[in-house]
Amino acid sequence: MPRLYGDTDKFGEQNNTPVVEAFHGAIRAMVRQKLAASGQTWQDFVFGKAVTGITADDFRAIDQRLLDYGHRYLWSALVSQQERPEAYTAAQGVGEDLSTFSFEHPEAPTAAADAEGRELRGCGDNVVRYNEDLIGTARYVRSSATVLNYLQNGVPPGTIAVIDDSGGTLTAPILEQFTGVICAGGTVRSHLGILTREYGIPCFMNSKISGIREGDTVRLECTATAKTADAYQKGIEMTGRIWRVAQ
Amino acid sequence: MKLSYAQLLETNNLIQQNTDETYWLCLTRTVQESKLFPVSPYMILSYFMCFYRYPALLRKIEQHMSAEDIGDRARNMGIKIQNPSMGWCLPSFYLLGREYLITMGLIRPQDALEDVVYVMDFWKRYELAWHRNDGHLTNRDFGHRAQVLPERRLQIFHADMYDCVEGDALHTAAQAFMAATSQYGFLVSCESRIALHNQGPYKLDDEREMIVRDFMDLAEGDYPWLDGVAAEMPYNNLTVPMAVKGVHFNIIDDWGSFESQPEFKAEHIVGVGLYTSDTLSEGYLPVGMGSREELTRTFEALAEKAKDATNKLWKRIAGWSRDQMIDAGAITYFSIVKDLAHVAGCYEMEDWMLIDERAERFRPLLNDEYSNMSLWEILGPLSNPCQRTNEYQLCQHANIPARMYSLIPYSVLKDGDYTATVGDLQPGVSYLPRKEDRYRTTQGVLSLAEYNRQAREFTPTVCDDDHRWLCESWLKYHHDTPAAEALYRAEQQHSRLLKDKGAGLRRADIERLRGD
Repeated sequence: MPRLYGDTDKFGEQNNTPVVEAFHGAIRAMVRQKLAASGQTWQDFVFGKAVTGITADDFRAIDQRLLDYGHRYLWSALVSQQERPEAYTAAQGVGEDLSTFSFEHPEAPTAAADAEGRELRGCGDNVVRYNEDLIGTARYVRSSATVLNYLQNGVPPGTIAVIDDSGGTLTAPILEQFTGVICAGGTVRSHLGILTREYGIPCFMNSKISGIREGDTVRLECTATAKTADAYQKGIEMTGRIWRVAQ
Repeated sequence: MKLSYAQLLETNNLIQQNTDETYWLCLTRTVQESKLFPVSPYMILSYFMCFYRYPALLRKIEQHMSAEDIGDRARNMGIKIQNPSMGWCLPSFYLLGREYLITMGLIRPQDALEDVVYVMDFWKRYELAWHRNDGHLTNRDFGHRAQVLPERRLQIFHADMYDCVEGDALHTAAQAFMAATSQYGFLVSCESRIALHNQGPYKLDDEREMIVRDFMDLAEGDYPWLDGVAAEMPYNNLTVPMAVKGVHFNIIDDWGSFESQPEFKAEHIVGVGLYTSDTLSEGYLPVGMGSREELTRTFEALAEKAKDATNKLWKRIAGWSRDQMIDAGAITYFSIVKDLAHVAGCYEMEDWMLIDERAERFRPLLNDEYSNMSLWEILGPLSNPCQRTNEYQLCQHANIPARMYSLIPYSVLKDGDYTATVGDLQPGVSYLPRKEDRYRTTQGVLSLAEYNRQAREFTPTVCDDDHRWLCESWLKYHHDTPAAEALYRAEQQHSRLLKDKGAGLRRADIERLRGD
């Protein structure tokens, strides 16, 4: 079997994640096989039979092999899971009944209720510093169906949307109606951070929360210092707190 | 084509500059995810498209107009060949495609070598022309700043903008417009930020700065998914010069994003204007700038149109299949430099709005998990084998022995062991409906053939042979000449306050005129 250029890499090591290592290892093995079968030099092969002779079916077979081993992919776009449920892990917390669902981030700081009845349930990176904290009702927004429902019926007043999506498209038609946003991903410079700043909507990005359920009253410490690019670069923690408060 | 040592040295330097800046840009954002769009899958697909198609497409464009000539044109309008498109996406999308193929064992760092040298050289020439007035290659090169515009244009933006304060009608309308149009831009661009661009800052006085914000590709134009839903958007590109007080924009990066100290809020906005421009316009044309009331109404009307188009487009996208979402996203990313072809008058839908079949074959790999994780590995820990360097190395920003984009080995100069190119354009496919032949421009709604014809025949006055070399360095010593007067008057023809004022004014004179 011929060796590939990367097979003599002095410093290269395996990829960090199993899926990437499995895919890349399988692709390299397939390329070695195709190169050997072609009988060509690398120079003739690379933009010849390496293009015409390596097809979607070859890549499909690599994907299927991992599924046959029992792996199920983690999904991030709901459409991926919905179109190919047999290939992805099950979708939790995206149906109509969200009464028992909550984000449970292991890193979320928690504490019992203080004298003011504020129970610490998490923290997040504050996009913009405001003069007052924000109090509202937590409502999860995780699917197109939820967005469509709010688009047709309106977002309830005082909604602090709990979103795991640092993008700005899922909630595009209704974002303006939110009173606040708790986003479990991204940074203050992510798309959702940019948009909430434009709309003047208090927003925490990269939030770590625990035990916040649909309909809970929550308080965002929007008076906290906004996190800067420099803080991200230097790994400096700079967060605002998220409390659940007695109704 | 015989490659020289100097060419490879320069190419590797340009690659390394992109390595350094890409890490910094990604560090502050993390991998982008969306519950609606399979973002990472479409990003990776686009990188393959860029690797296979950019060399042939850029060569095709340069048969009509050079990279540096297009850079000169782009400097005088707010279309989508600024940032992030040219400052970062052109080289980095191409290099990311190359790096994926290297780590997969499908190419070596010295394969498609003439393509790599050419693409990086094209990028360099364009960037130097676009940044001509500030003398840099990139915003990074300028400490994250972009002072692209000449004095004559800055004076008009400064003079004609209307003052506003938080709570007044103009301020409220302008802020609502920028929020709604930003939102719409993200949706048009399938979750990417490439419909938005900021340049500057420009200093208005000791307390005020101005940034120039562009909102691009808003109307029925190149994207098939805007056919119908964007029919009511009257402008494809809109530019908002925005004055702020009490804020210093300390970062304007090569993604066209800004950061300020203290953090920017709407209350800091103290002045706004509104313009449109495109390949066929004489630079920036004022929109609703006849009076403060007219501008307020214009912002309000455009915000409503953006919201209406957002709702229609969101419903269309929510009904798409995964393959359609991936196509739209990959095409958006890949075609981010498509306006190069519009300026050159050689834009073809099949070149830019289809998935190259050499890239299409990778689609079965692009499940969400592999795509997210492989993108994270190539941009974050730089943990692909091909990205690791010897243990003594500390890469910029990360301090790890790694390099995002592989350099070209100099051994090729001795042994000639490389391949030249990926070859000519190949056919493309798409799951999306075919684009209708309808393009909104400043000259009306045109067919593509007519759009290309007008683009080939049109040269903006400030870019013609009589004016293009009259640069800021020349102007400094020749402001009292008839040539300078003619140049400034050409730029001032649509200005409310500066029409025919000529070349002699200083910034303080502009401020006095505003107060009259």
